[in-house]
Amino acid sequence: MTVKLQVNGVEHAVDVDPDMPLLWVLRDVLNLTGTKYGCGQALCGACAVHLDGQVVRSCVTPVQRAEGRAVTTIEGLSADGSHPLQRAWVALGVPQCGYCQAGQIMTAAALLAGKPKPTDDEIDRSMAGNICRCGTYPRIRAAIRKAAGIADD
Amino acid sequence: MKRFVGPVLLSALGTVACATPQSAEPPRAAATPVDKTSGDLRSPAFFEATVPDRVERSRALFLEATRVFLHPRCVNCHPAGDSPMQGDAQYLHDPPVWRGSEDRGVVGMECTSCHQDQKLDLARVPSAPMWRLAPRVMAWAGQSAHGICEQIKDPARNGGRTLDRIVEHSAHDPLVAWGWTPGAGRVPAPGTQALFAEIVRAWVESGAECPAEEARR
Amino acid sequence: MTEGSGGERTTPAGDSREAAASPLGPLKISRRSVLAAMNVGLGGLALGLYRRCAPAAAAGGAGLEPNVWLHIAVDGTVTYLCHRSEMGQGVRSSLFALVADELGADLARVQVGQADGDKKYGNQNTDGSSSVRGKAFEDLRRVGATAREMLVAAAAQRWRVKPETCTTRDHQVVHVPTGRAVGFGDLVEQAAKLPVPKADDVKLRPRNELRHLGGDLPLIDAPAFVTGRATYGADVRVPGTLVAVIARPPVVGGRPLRYDESKALAVAGVKKVVAMPTAKPPYGFQPWGGVAVIAENTWAAMRGRAALDITWDSGSDGTYDSEAFERELAASVDAPGTPVRNVGDVDGAFGKAARVMEAEYHVPHLGHLPMEPIAVTARNVDGRWEIWAPTQNPQTARSIAAATLGVAEDQVTVHVTFLGGAFGRKSKADFIAEVVLLARAAGAPVRLQWTREDDVQHDYVNAVSTQRLRAGLDAQGKITAWLHRTAFPPIGSTFGPVDRPSADDLQQGVLDLALDVPNVRAEACAARSHTRVGWYRSVYNIFHGFAIGSFVDEIAVARGQDARDTWLEFIGPPRPLGLAELGVERLRNYGASLDEHPVDPGRLAKVIQRVTELARWSERKKEGRALGLAAHRSFLSYAACVVAVVADARRGVRVDEAWLVLDAGTIVNADRVRANLQGAVVMGISNALFGGITWKAGAVEQSNFHDARVARIGDVPRKMHVEFVPSELPPCGVGEPGVVPVAPAIANAVFALTGKRIRELPIARAFGV
Repeated sequence: MTVKLQVNGVEHAVDVDPDMPLLWVLRDVLNLTGTKYGCGQALCGACAVHLDGQVVRSCVTPVQRAEGRAVTTIEGLSADGSHPLQRAWVALGVPQCGYCQAGQIMTAAALLAGKPKPTDDEIDRSMAGNICRCGTYPRIRAAIRKAAGIADD
Repeated sequence: MKRFVGPVLLSALGTVACATPQSAEPPRAAATPVDKTSGDLRSPAFFEATVPDRVERSRALFLEATRVFLHPRCVNCHPAGDSPMQGDAQYLHDPPVWRGSEDRGVVGMECTSCHQDQKLDLARVPSAPMWRLAPRVMAWAGQSAHGICEQIKDPARNGGRTLDRIVEHSAHDPLVAWGWTPGAGRVPAPGTQALFAEIVRAWVESGAECPAEEARR
Repeated sequence: MTEGSGGERTTPAGDSREAAASPLGPLKISRRSVLAAMNVGLGGLALGLYRRCAPAAAAGGAGLEPNVWLHIAVDGTVTYLCHRSEMGQGVRSSLFALVADELGADLARVQVGQADGDKKYGNQNTDGSSSVRGKAFEDLRRVGATAREMLVAAAAQRWRVKPETCTTRDHQVVHVPTGRAVGFGDLVEQAAKLPVPKADDVKLRPRNELRHLGGDLPLIDAPAFVTGRATYGADVRVPGTLVAVIARPPVVGGRPLRYDESKALAVAGVKKVVAMPTAKPPYGFQPWGGVAVIAENTWAAMRGRAALDITWDSGSDGTYDSEAFERELAASVDAPGTPVRNVGDVDGAFGKAARVMEAEYHVPHLGHLPMEPIAVTARNVDGRWEIWAPTQNPQTARSIAAATLGVAEDQVTVHVTFLGGAFGRKSKADFIAEVVLLARAAGAPVRLQWTREDDVQHDYVNAVSTQRLRAGLDAQGKITAWLHRTAFPPIGSTFGPVDRPSADDLQQGVLDLALDVPNVRAEACAARSHTRVGWYRSVYNIFHGFAIGSFVDEIAVARGQDARDTWLEFIGPPRPLGLAELGVERLRNYGASLDEHPVDPGRLAKVIQRVTELARWSERKKEGRALGLAAHRSFLSYAACVVAVVADARRGVRVDEAWLVLDAGTIVNADRVRANLQGAVVMGISNALFGGITWKAGAVEQSNFHDARVARIGDVPRKMHVEFVPSELPPCGVGEPGVVPVAPAIANAVFALTGKRIRELPIARAFGV
């Protein structure tokens, strides 16, 4: 079946089962491999992308849900790594292995779009679905605050 | 050999954080134990045959309906606090999620970030249209049957519905329907949605009487 | 690196990944804009450092190649092939700086590639916190020094001066008396004609000329990570690749009795179903067995696997039960084991003791749970095999692949991708054996994808263990006797018939424990293995550190004494401890000599003092908040941790603040060491609060992150203070030691807060959450 979806501003028509998770359409069909597979059960957040600006966990989101809507992946968050979160992430050396970071950044981007000056509690709640096994959480918190222009105490 | 023995009651640790007095985190165990072996829900005909008094029959019908209301598949998303529960043991939802200002989760962790409109192949996350928490006024966890009954009858607390609309909701709402086809090996609510709706209708038609505060099924 | 039609991808090795048959999409990233967008900190260094690595092949152009790691082009660009795997420890951002400083290069003009698996690169096994310590530190410097001497020789020849009058800095050779300078690029052609000095003969520059040693260095791959351009195992795109997913026996060594291949083949996109060979003990790195489904894409393969309808024969370990095994371990430490450490007369001392304390500690199997489940690609082109793997050990990957295929090693090339976390899991070559078998069976390139369930249920888990500790105290409360019995199925059991830990295994925290006690004995007790046991970040130190760290605290409590004072008294005064003092016949000492890396309680005392000072230990008694302390030597380093614990409605207890101090001797990259320590605190929290992979009826009970739980952001304190001790002592391990003292510190704090002593992890279970 042909499913039409817009990814990072570009229209695609893909010939896939409409129940195929968006994650695998992105990775295996469109070769956008920035979005990661971490658990396949919406438990870890590595697959987070935006659907019309809202975070969805693409590993459990059927591609037909994206039909007629705008998908944004890490590759489309900015043209050149210049999103304030990406800059803050680099400036503070947030990543360690880096695998979870696309999902972390996409969730944080939705957070800042909805709450430009989140409290610490709001950061922790919105980021609670993104697991990092390397333990970069302290720097993730700091980078979100930096990107939001929240001064250190 | 010395080992740590026994659970530590949260109350023994001193202060337990509560958002508001009414939104204390729910107790871990269900108020009434889940009867996993009984999928049956008794029909209106049964109560017709066994409870001749209209008022008593009405109360008994509602009490029967609470076997659905208070079943984990339903009550888990009717919490008193800010987080849903999970599982038959009704532990706090993991990953941690919060109600948000519109009962649909917080930004980045909206209910529909994970929960889809339709059942999924291979993914175990429960799915049904418009997955969300019931508003706080519709909290059932920790409530008596009497309390739930009063809430359901109160337009100020039931989404402005008439009793007929309540029956409609029980019979046809797709999120309500999920309780009986929860997938992934989860224990469904007793009976069927159709039977549940019949019970609710029979309750309405018999006067929508509420059980006494101390009544338990 | 050429600009592709789509976005550029970054593999550690540059273009060794195939250009995609289908483009990556319309996203265009220009090199200039990426660099311009980067926040330039660290005195402008950052700008040039954020450079995608040059391919090894391109580096083979004209220039100077003094050894297998370095290439200097005529334009001056230095390419360094990093020979250790990048799994989050920042090895790619650190080793090159040491080499470059020794060389005298401008770091902004150094590109970092990734070496394939080949013995010529020396030891490529990224394991044991060993990429800088030991011989590595000097070897890395010699890599740069060799090139330096050749460039200096060329310049000296050109200028007709003595080489001793020249030095290198800022990417130039400089004639010190006159200030005359020439750039590296202008020398390479001439230098390439000179004889290459032996690595052992080159002179290292004075340490104070290593300009970046111990300072902060930026993470060179950060721009790739934050834009989704870093290539991990699953991101490799080779034309014609099929994707495979394997249904592995739930019980180790089991096999399928029956399955329905036609149901899998009926799933759209599924191409082939392949039976995997059954694994036989000792399991080593054999494939796990089961049935593989090969399909056009990952989703089809997963669905095909789900359709197989397999009935399993569980084989001989169909009864492994974690609860029963815990009882077995308890019985094992209840009886004397093999003595491996002995000082004085422990039995006599217990007989005379005024008081005897005893406790038993149990730590379950722990899973690695890296964020990247294993994914690996293999293809065969005219008998030449190529593998792209997130492997910590590319040389073993190569030899296992060759042995599995029955081909010569030189027919196999192993490329190393980025690793999405590993913690020890990806040094095992089981998945390498699996993928080459499947690629051969498919007659096409195959990407083998492990699901998260596969990762949870088919891990080389850290050994489960029970420890019995007994201390004898005299009338004054001084410890006069110490007995440690430890039972765990060691890693050796994965490779051969081993029924108890060896003395070498006990070097991790039992034999190298400094204690000022006149009578000491340690015994290795029997423990049979029922599953594949492997090494997981800090390995046996996890449970040895937990037991000792908790028991010292219990002694402090029993004596009514400050735990810090107890620790300092327990380990005794600063003094180097050799074999005789330790009471051991030999100490593997992580491969280092005891002369260079003695067991030094003075260094342990210093980190204990520093961490307790940072944590304001003297103010530790507060309403509703309690501190806990623990310390441990591992991988030659010394780590001490204090945590503050408070009650928590959701989790029972929560770590509210943490302090971790590490003495690792000389360190290369301060920022990565601090990041590593932050990560160590988080991993210690995971181990302590949630960790545990358990078995029932031979199969793992957990399957994904809902029951194989790890710390989320809310579980981690907002205030975390990590510090390393500035030092010029020889480098020690960094990657692992920070983890060890965290769990016992938490248990000790929990006791101080609640009065409940938790001797069995995970703590969450004790609180019923």
